[in-house]
Amino acid sequence: MRALNKLKISLAVTAAASLIAVTGCSANQPAGSSTGGSDKLEITSWWTSGSEADALNVLIDGVKAAKPGLSVDNAAVSGGGGSNARQALAARLQAGSPPDAWQVHPAGQLKSYVDGGQVADLTELWTQNDWASQMPKDVAEVQQVNGKYYTVPIGVHRGNVLWTNPAVLAKANVKIDPAGGVDGLISSLKQVQAAGATPVCLGDKDIFASSQLLESIIMSRAGADNWKKLFSNEYSFDAPEVKQALEDYKTILSLANKDHSAITWDEASKKMANGACAVNLMGDWAYGELINAKKKPGTDFAWVTFPGKEDIFDYVGDGFSIPANNIPHAEAANAWLKTLMDPKVQTDFAAKKGSIPAVKSADISGLSKYQQEAAKSFASAKVVSSLAHAQAAGAEFAQTYADAVSTFNGSGNADAFIASMTAAQKTQL
Amino acid sequence: MTTSTALPPAPASPGPRPKKQVPHNVKTSRRAAWIFAPSLLVSFLFVYVFIGITVYISLSNWKIGTSPDLSLRQPFGGTYAEIVKEQRFQADIRNVVIFTVIFLVLAILGGLIAALFIHHVSIGKGLFRTVFLLPYALSFIVTGVAWRWIFSPSTGVNEILRSMGIENPPGWTTDPTVLGALNDPSGTDFLKVQFGIPVALLPIIFAAAWQLVGFAMAMYLAGLASIPEEHLEAASVDGANIWQRLRHIVLPQLWPSTITCFVLLLHVALKIFDLVVAMSGSGPGFVTDVPGIYIYNYLTSRYDKASAMAIILLLLTLAVIVPYLIRGYRKERKA
Repeated sequence: MRALNKLKISLAVTAAASLIAVTGCSANQPAGSSTGGSDKLEITSWWTSGSEADALNVLIDGVKAAKPGLSVDNAAVSGGGGSNARQALAARLQAGSPPDAWQVHPAGQLKSYVDGGQVADLTELWTQNDWASQMPKDVAEVQQVNGKYYTVPIGVHRGNVLWTNPAVLAKANVKIDPAGGVDGLISSLKQVQAAGATPVCLGDKDIFASSQLLESIIMSRAGADNWKKLFSNEYSFDAPEVKQALEDYKTILSLANKDHSAITWDEASKKMANGACAVNLMGDWAYGELINAKKKPGTDFAWVTFPGKEDIFDYVGDGFSIPANNIPHAEAANAWLKTLMDPKVQTDFAAKKGSIPAVKSADISGLSKYQQEAAKSFASAKVVSSLAHAQAAGAEFAQTYADAVSTFNGSGNADAFIASMTAAQKTQL
Repeated sequence: MTTSTALPPAPASPGPRPKKQVPHNVKTSRRAAWIFAPSLLVSFLFVYVFIGITVYISLSNWKIGTSPDLSLRQPFGGTYAEIVKEQRFQADIRNVVIFTVIFLVLAILGGLIAALFIHHVSIGKGLFRTVFLLPYALSFIVTGVAWRWIFSPSTGVNEILRSMGIENPPGWTTDPTVLGALNDPSGTDFLKVQFGIPVALLPIIFAAAWQLVGFAMAMYLAGLASIPEEHLEAASVDGANIWQRLRHIVLPQLWPSTITCFVLLLHVALKIFDLVVAMSGSGPGFVTDVPGIYIYNYLTSRYDKASAMAIILLLLTLAVIVPYLIRGYRKERKA
């Protein structure tokens, strides 16, 4: 009988434990949210690398200075260019227990959160503080969906920078002139090849690197206005400029290192700086990576805007949004957003992150030469959003584009690329 | 003191049971049901209910991960109709079939040869066993990083080939060609993918087989140990040579081990993900893409597509496992 009783007890315990496990899933409480006071703030991002974590700490120190006594819970999730963090966030949003603020790319990515009714309307906060007037019109626009503001920008990265190796170019006696357009670039690259060097370094093990290269060529051929119209279906991927860009892309790919699909973007950037090739197209986070690898700007590597018919700034933006419902610490979240827009915080953040501040009044005199040039260009060039980073359009369209680029890399079939992108324009925008 | 221990109290449990009317086997099976109930409940919930949910999502309109739209997609099953037309999906199915077939042959044959070798070698048995089994202890992501370096076009094997004077060594995992392609798709028809063996997949299959050969070997070693020595002795007395003994006695008796290896390695092949991610990613033109990577990529952009691919992967597994289970069930009933 005693044995039987023991059995019953153990069964009861197992049943209770499994019940807790089951119910625990639906009531997925964030750690430390039980107090409900305003002295706590939980933020999620995918900033976990050395320089990124330092930059995030600038923001955390900033909000702590603005609200003394606040304890900040940094719930960053590493890996996958943010896809891991976004999946973790999606699970929490569905469970109805969002963090107080989370990292978002503007426009396309923001829209999916707005469509799901998950981010708070910040229009009032924007008009109260007159934030729109403090940044370029294009940047303020992409923080909105249907005329309302849903996110606050913290920094600006440029996607279309051509990083060059001065020594390799000098050896081939080539200068790359941004005003020479794509044709000028290709003839320069062919000259490098004739001199016996590999012209292009590419690392597209993660497909975004070649998506970004193709996107830069399309922008350069079609122009900033047409690039924007691609995402409102007013301009087609079937246009002659896009076809030309695909041919250019194929040529540039044939001038690249043969092992491009086996190496990552940062390996490719370092190869360029080590003299394995002449140029590498990458966003300006490559600058931080190269500095981190102890490469000297100006001697080991230099930069030009990706050549094209006009000066275009391919904007990859970072910002934060706050949840529409179930916001545990509303007051702290508002303080966080205000801190992000503080010009000094934006400058300090940029110094660590390698980006440039989104607000015009931020003092950039202390930033690097590259950053100062980028900031100047940001104020004068035409600013467009990156598709490779799911900003110009939503995640679905961006994934279709990434898949089409992968397919094109294998087959070189431009018609198939155009067919899948024009179909996506009709159904996914 | 000694006298009290010398007289032990009457044992409590072996005493006469009060409820003798319940037959022993019924009682134990009832007790077994109680013991298994929680785990049955949990596995029902977390396996079968979730499979059901995944099927439902694959039929729904739930596109973006953050905004569930659970209405059924029109026309019914539209997501499946959509993905079968994709170049990427077709490439994935081709890749996973090629991967599974070659991987199973390599791993099972390799395991068999290793086991026969170790079983018959007289010295260093333990050492060989460890050497072959060691890779199995590593995780795919670790071996993937090492094999990626070996097959990277600019390092590893190619370094050796270049030092031997070969000017243009193979691109290995970066090679987009498809061996023995049966067709030449235009890219806009229904069939968008070349059927054949993607060259870039071969190094990955090799790495996977290298990792799991030890597992197959362990299975076969156990099988070899259970073959009665008398059978082999009798055969040698009758004059059978080593090949005849292998073919007519050893291999037939190893058949259960082969089946077990096949079933256990099959799911490794079908759900391969981390090794491919570490070694090559999707590859140019998706030559090394597999369903696992497809599902992972679409989890942030299209829940319905990711779920549909997961269901197709499940069906692929069932297509091979179910006949095996039916066979086992029939055997059991006969016995």
